[in-house]
Amino acid sequence: MEKELIASITKLVIEKLNQEQPPKEPEVALWSASPKNPAPVEATEQNLERIELKPVRQEAIQRKEQKTHQSRTCSDSLKLEKKEQQLEELRQKTPSRIAVGRAGSRPKTNTWLQFRYDHAAAVDAVYGEVSADVLENLGVFTVHTRVEDKEEYIRRPDRGRQLSDESRKIIKDRCQNSPTVQVVISNGLSAKAVEANIEDVYLSLQQSLNNLKIDMGTTFYVDKGRVALMDEIGEILTPDVVIMLIGERPGLVSAESLSAYMCYKPRKGVIEADRMVVSNIHKGGIPPVEAGAYLGTIVQKILKYQASGVSLVQKES
Amino acid sequence: MKSLASRVETLLSAGIDIGTSTTKLVISRFSLMNLAGGTHVPRIEIIDKEILYRSPIFRTPLLSATTIDMIAVDDIVKSEYEKAGVTSDQIQTGAVIITGETATKQNAEEMVHHLSEHAGGFLVAAAGPDLEGIIAAKGSGAYGYSKKTGKSVANVDIGGGTANIAVYQDGRLTGTCTLHVGGRLIEFEDEQIKSISPPVEKLIRQEGWTVQIGDSKYHPDVQKITRRMATVMANVLSKSMTMEDEVLLLGHPPQWSGDVDVIVFSGGVSECIYQLEEENASLAVYDDIGIELASALRREPGLQHYEWKKPNETVRATVLGAGTQTTNISGATIQVESSQLPQKNLPVVEVSFEYETAVGLAKLQSSVEEAIAIYDPGGEGQNFVLYLTDIPYLKFRDIQSIAKKLIACRRLKPDPLQPFIIVLQSDHAKVLGQTLQALEPEQSILCIDQIDIEQGGYMDIGQVLQSGVVPVVIKTLTFHS
Ligand code: B12
Repeated sequence: MEKELIASITKLVIEKLNQEQPPKEPEVALWSASPKNPAPVEATEQNLERIELKPVRQEAIQRKEQKTHQSRTCSDSLKLEKKEQQLEELRQKTPSRIAVGRAGSRPKTNTWLQFRYDHAAAVDAVYGEVSADVLENLGVFTVHTRVEDKEEYIRRPDRGRQLSDESRKIIKDRCQNSPTVQVVISNGLSAKAVEANIEDVYLSLQQSLNNLKIDMGTTFYVDKGRVALMDEIGEILTPDVVIMLIGERPGLVSAESLSAYMCYKPRKGVIEADRMVVSNIHKGGIPPVEAGAYLGTIVQKILKYQASGVSLVQKES
Repeated sequence: MKSLASRVETLLSAGIDIGTSTTKLVISRFSLMNLAGGTHVPRIEIIDKEILYRSPIFRTPLLSATTIDMIAVDDIVKSEYEKAGVTSDQIQTGAVIITGETATKQNAEEMVHHLSEHAGGFLVAAAGPDLEGIIAAKGSGAYGYSKKTGKSVANVDIGGGTANIAVYQDGRLTGTCTLHVGGRLIEFEDEQIKSISPPVEKLIRQEGWTVQIGDSKYHPDVQKITRRMATVMANVLSKSMTMEDEVLLLGHPPQWSGDVDVIVFSGGVSECIYQLEEENASLAVYDDIGIELASALRREPGLQHYEWKKPNETVRATVLGAGTQTTNISGATIQVESSQLPQKNLPVVEVSFEYETAVGLAKLQSSVEEAIAIYDPGGEGQNFVLYLTDIPYLKFRDIQSIAKKLIACRRLKPDPLQPFIIVLQSDHAKVLGQTLQALEPEQSILCIDQIDIEQGGYMDIGQVLQSGVVPVVIKTLTFHS
């Protein structure tokens, strides 16, 4: 696609999204009171999906009243306590903001602040950088895509799928050629995801591949990469499997969730259905250490069937 | 495209209940499916349980007052399997449970272990009053009702010899209690009292009643006894037991927190209340106080304020529970070696990390030492399960320290080469298993996770299923009370 065309489509989408936010539905307006920076398209989309403020149950309000008036009988308060216990159990079952109470037609201040905080964390995750320490500890070097800055990264996914000319040369020089497994790390849409989880996922994956005696190439870090960048890397280094550990688009539940995208012999023109992903790797999701161990066994399966994604599922059954 | 997710695996399960008065069996088929999407980390769960066969209700064959007729029980099982069209090697999971007074017979232990070995590929032997109550609550529907409504539901399973109470609130076990209350505690023959069980004898003496063996079954004291049993039941359920009530208590007093909202009766005596079985499963066969006891319970003033929920099953609650509710499925990312499976009758040693790695590390060694002292004092190589709970968020480095500590612990075992069995509550088995393997590649390790033990000190682990998970049964093995 042409540059201008992409730019104008992106503009249209952003305008459309902004238009769709007049205070028609009060809850929507509450959430998306536009942040300072125009929100990235993808993140805004997520906001719309995630809006979920469950009206509080009658009982919880009664309980409040009762606490202040203390006029009810003892058995009443016991009942309410039990209800509250049940609500608490439900809350434990999901990270969604359920049974959080309300003040009139609005969320309570705490809920609201928490929401703003989570939203800010999501924005920060996209705009943040992975600290040099983390990468140094892992002993990986950094290369770049054709993207110049974050704004461009968001507007031009296609450029995040190509290495800069210099980077192409660097990986050709510095990386083992044709390894069985090539691991690539990228901040993607959440630098925080990499910071928080990479060490555990990586060390555990490394151990797992070691145990299975599967040879691992030279791991490197790509700044501002996209998933499909693995195709070009596959062309250059010709590994059997690429594992791309990349920051997921942050949500309001977690801004530090990492994904592992995998593909058997990725090359230019590979179809999306041949990729596969283990997502939701973070503290509150799949424990990073366990995810790394599990990835090893998936690689084993990919190698056995010489296929990934939908083709793997087909060959397996 | 045939997706991974839609593939269903089936498992045949047997439940065998050898109770004080009756013995019965069920065969069911479980369907397992990966509930996570095609390329997600798999999550295997039992999605359906279909009951294929229910045996008639047999009288438990006895050789004498203190011995079970093992050959006769074996014959029942064999002929019922035949009628159901299954062979024992097709049975992949399930439980044989010996319940009520039968668990106190001389050869009770031998009986369950014998059946466990011969009546199925992976059939678990179980016994113990608390477990009976729990299994019955699951078979009667009481557990399900508590989960559905969030209410506190007491299941009272009254068989021939004991009443086993299990209280569930919102699907969580809050407590258990067992009483010497049952239909067969006084037996009649030719309109006369044929036998009175020891706990009832004690009650009679305590109250200064006079009834004795040989008296007419219409002796007024008989009614006093059944009424008294009903009153004790009411007192236990409301946790207001008196000193005099204690003669009928077996084991610990009620310990659940909060009040009971709903009561569900299951077991043989419940059949006298609800008559859910077919006509020809006649009750008159049991010439005992069962019917009297049922009517006393129905009239007991102290039980009227509860919601009475009709059970899904009466006499068969325990056998259905044993056949359909004892099998747990492990997490899908685990580290196991099929050559080391199944593992049976392993005592469980829990090590709570109290949400701190350092605490867990500090406790591991002493817990293992203690476990060896308790379960393998003679150094004969009785293996056990190390059950690690309340684990905090773990970094890779923490996993490594835990693994190193575990290996040091393994060396303490009289037979360090026997499989090292580690069960985790949280989703960490794969990485811990792999780390142990990396440190000691030659040693055999069984590391499974996502198992919650609500009650019971023993565990059986079955063979790896096609979906890569293992069936796990948690139970007790208590024979004398
Ligand atoms: C954004 C998104 C999409 C967008 C991607 C748009 C784009 N071109 O960037 C759209 C709407 C197209 C999409 C489609 C699908 N998605 Co999607 N998607 C996400 C989301 C919310 C964020 C992904 C992300 O941050 N990627 C990182 C950035 C840096 O990658 P990127 O290079 O910018 O974009 C690529 C990836 O996002 C990738 N991708 C997106 N989804 C999927 C799903 C699979 C199975 C694969 C292999 C790749 C993939 O395709 C993009 C283009 O190459 C995740 C949620 C999550 N927790 O991760 C779900 C998620 C990854 N998607 C999921 C699914 C199931 C799908 C679909 C299969 C849905 C369907 N039934 O059609 C398709 C498959 C798309 C494909 N490429 O094969 C699941 C995957 C579950 C799993 N473990 O298998 C997730 C985890 C959501 C969930 N919780 O269920 N998705």
